[in-house]
Order: sequence, then C-alpha cells, then structure tokens
Amino acid sequence: MNSLKGHIKEVQVNGSLSLVTVALSDEILFKAVIIETPETASYLSEGHLVKVLFKETEVVIGKDIKHLISLQNQIRGEIKRVERGQLLSNIIINTPAGDISSIITTNAVDQLSLKEELTVCAMVKTNEIMLSE
Amino acid sequence: MIKIDVHKKLRAFDSEMNFHIQCQIKKGELVTLYGESGAGKTSTLRILAGLLKPDKGEITINEVSWIDTKNKIFLAPQKRNIGYVFQDYALFPNMSVLQNLEFASGKGQNKKVITELIEMMELGDLQNRKPQTLSGGQQQRVALSRALVRKPDVLLLDEPLAALDYKIRLKLQDYITRIHKEYNLTTILVSHDIGEIMKLSDRVFVLEQGKIVRQGIPSEIFSNQKISGKFKFTGEILKIEPQDVVLIVSVLIQNNVVKVIANKSEMQTLKVGDKVMVASKAFNPILYKIQE
Repeated sequence: MNSLKGHIKEVQVNGSLSLVTVALSDEILFKAVIIETPETASYLSEGHLVKVLFKETEVVIGKDIKHLISLQNQIRGEIKRVERGQLLSNIIINTPAGDISSIITTNAVDQLSLKEELTVCAMVKTNEIMLSE
Repeated sequence: MIKIDVHKKLRAFDSEMNFHIQCQIKKGELVTLYGESGAGKTSTLRILAGLLKPDKGEITINEVSWIDTKNKIFLAPQKRNIGYVFQDYALFPNMSVLQNLEFASGKGQNKKVITELIEMMELGDLQNRKPQTLSGGQQQRVALSRALVRKPDVLLLDEPLAALDYKIRLKLQDYITRIHKEYNLTTILVSHDIGEIMKLSDRVFVLEQGKIVRQGIPSEIFSNQKISGKFKFTGEILKIEPQDVVLIVSVLIQNNVVKVIANKSEMQTLKVGDKVMVASKAFNPILYKIQE
C-alpha cells in the first residue's frame, strides 16, 4: 500500500460524499472522493494532517503523455527501481511527496521501456484514494 | 434510556478493585462490554439484574429508579423487567419448549408474544420437545425466546454464543439482530468475539479494572486508525503466498476466505495468524444479484 502524508486543503461536500483536496507539498495536490463528511469523520477539516492511501495496483504510469486525461492525481518522479516478475512488475518511483509503488504488467513495462532514472508520471483515480488519520 | 453510575469495591482474585461504571445507553441500542476476564463485565450485568448490590450510585431505566443508594431505593430483582441469557441455557428440563416459554410469561400474560416468538425464532417444530433432546444452538434459541416473553426493558446477554460452534453462532447472531430490531430492545452484550461485536453492536465499552476506558463504534474501537474505506472487515491471515512481485494473502473473514494482493515489501509486517483489517473503497466492489 502506498502511504503519503499531506494536509487537507479543501473539503467539498455534497450529501454524504466529500471531495477532499490534500496538499502533499506546495505544488502537489491529491484529490480523494470519499463517503464521509466533516460530521462523520472528525479529521476532515482544513489543515488536518492525513495519510493518503492507495494500492500499488491502482497506480497508472504515463510517459510523454500528450493527450488530456481525466485522472486528477498526477505526480511526476524518477524511476528508482524496477522489480521484474513474470507477469507483474513493481515500479518504484521517487517523487517529491515520497516513494510510490506501482504494480503493472511486465508487458506494459516493456511496451513503455520503463527503466531506472526515467522520468514518468504516476496517476491515481480520485475514487481509489483512502484517507486516514 | 438507561443511566448507570455505580460504585463497588470488588474482590478480584487476591486484589481489590474499585469498580465504577458510568454510562448511558439509548433505547433501541445494542452495546457491547468488552474487556479481559475480571474487568467487571459480568458484574455490570449482575448489578443491573439486581443480583449484586452496588456500594453507592444510581441506575435509572426509562426514568424509573432501580437503584438510588442516596434515597435507599433498591428495586428487587423480580420486579425488574429484564431478560438475562447466559452461556448456560438453564432451561427447565422437565418442561417442553412451549412450557418453558409459558412459565416465563407468567399468569394472565398475553400469549400472543409467545406465538410471535416461536415463529420469529423458528421454534415451531421444536415447541413440544424437551430441552435435552435439542442441540446447543436450538436450546440457546429457546433461552433467548424465553428471555423475551415479558418484553424486557433491558436484555442482558452474557457471552450467550461462546459455547456454540462457528456456524451456529453466525446463525444465532442473525436471530439476535432480528429480535433486537423487531422489539426495539435495549441490549447489553458481553462478548470476546470481535467479528460478533462488529456485526451486532452499535457501540462498544472497553472495560479495564472495573472502569470504562474507551467507548465508540466497533470499527473505531477495533481498528488502530480511522480509515475512510467503507468496505471494511476484520479477519485473520491464513496463508501468504509470494507470487511474482506481489503476495497473495488469504484472509479468513467470518467463515469466508478472501484473497488480497499485497506488496512484497509488506511481507515483514504480515504473518500467518495476524488479525488484519481488510479495507477497500466503496467504489470498487460490484453487487451481483443472486437468483433465488
């Protein structure tokens, strides 16, 4: 599981859903849509320190992307290590917010020619992100 | 609404314990007392039932005073409308199931409740049998029904399912949920089974040394961190299989085994037998209707 720390910047509420913006650094903002509101989860307040959790298998890797993409959470970093398996591989990316692991198919690693020191963009859908105190 | 604020010096093994329980339980709530042996869980139930006298304090149930040591009020146990179910079924062996229920309802009571309970607890085919011819799970169903015939103000359940095997326990948990809702009962459960507590209770009181040290909703009490994932279960790791760059972790959740993919770097922190929380976003699971 990937776990990054950040401070809550904004909470937009609609009914029982909230769209939470977390600042992992000054420039990197991550968004999470969760079934909680400030009434049901005490940590949903501006400035609160939270952990941003997401699974390695939900991290999409992009390289030289030119088209627009709907994924809201994008973070650039340098590949630190590639652990190759037969079907699946683990890519560890060094980003300003900390290391992120992405588990993708080994086929995809080959297609994108992913290797150490290459700069890539790690992307996660807002509905894949969990928040924790 | 139940208001409890009682003190008592209790002898636990060779030491003395200052028992002081203070809490409020809303009508219709099911709360669990959780804690180690000797923490004061059963003593709390016994004080409520009137089987144990507190040194000082008050208990009021729906604005009626059951205990008020200041004003020398102590309502006799037989005058308290409670249902009490233990691990031991304690049914009358010489009476049939139906007779056990009728005896508990007392003279002149409305028999409609008994008919209703027999139906709800599925005792129809068993009603003319003697307790010793029934299985443990069936006897406990009778004991539960018997505790309910007077529509108690409070239902006290002291580890009622601890002696039963897993499958029967799950089934009886469903019966408890059903009757609790149907009769809008106020129930106090003592249990050590975290799965059971998560499934049944609205709130948990954690007892230590005769005092409530923590309280909250079960998922908060039994997980170390507040996590926003809505698809949450607790389970036990049965098997960890490394595969490629991932681990396939088999987790027993109630009586189902689920498999979860974990990162190999998590290997150090996970081992077989560990209790874990399996969490996912509510956005991921799909619902697939089962044709009956």
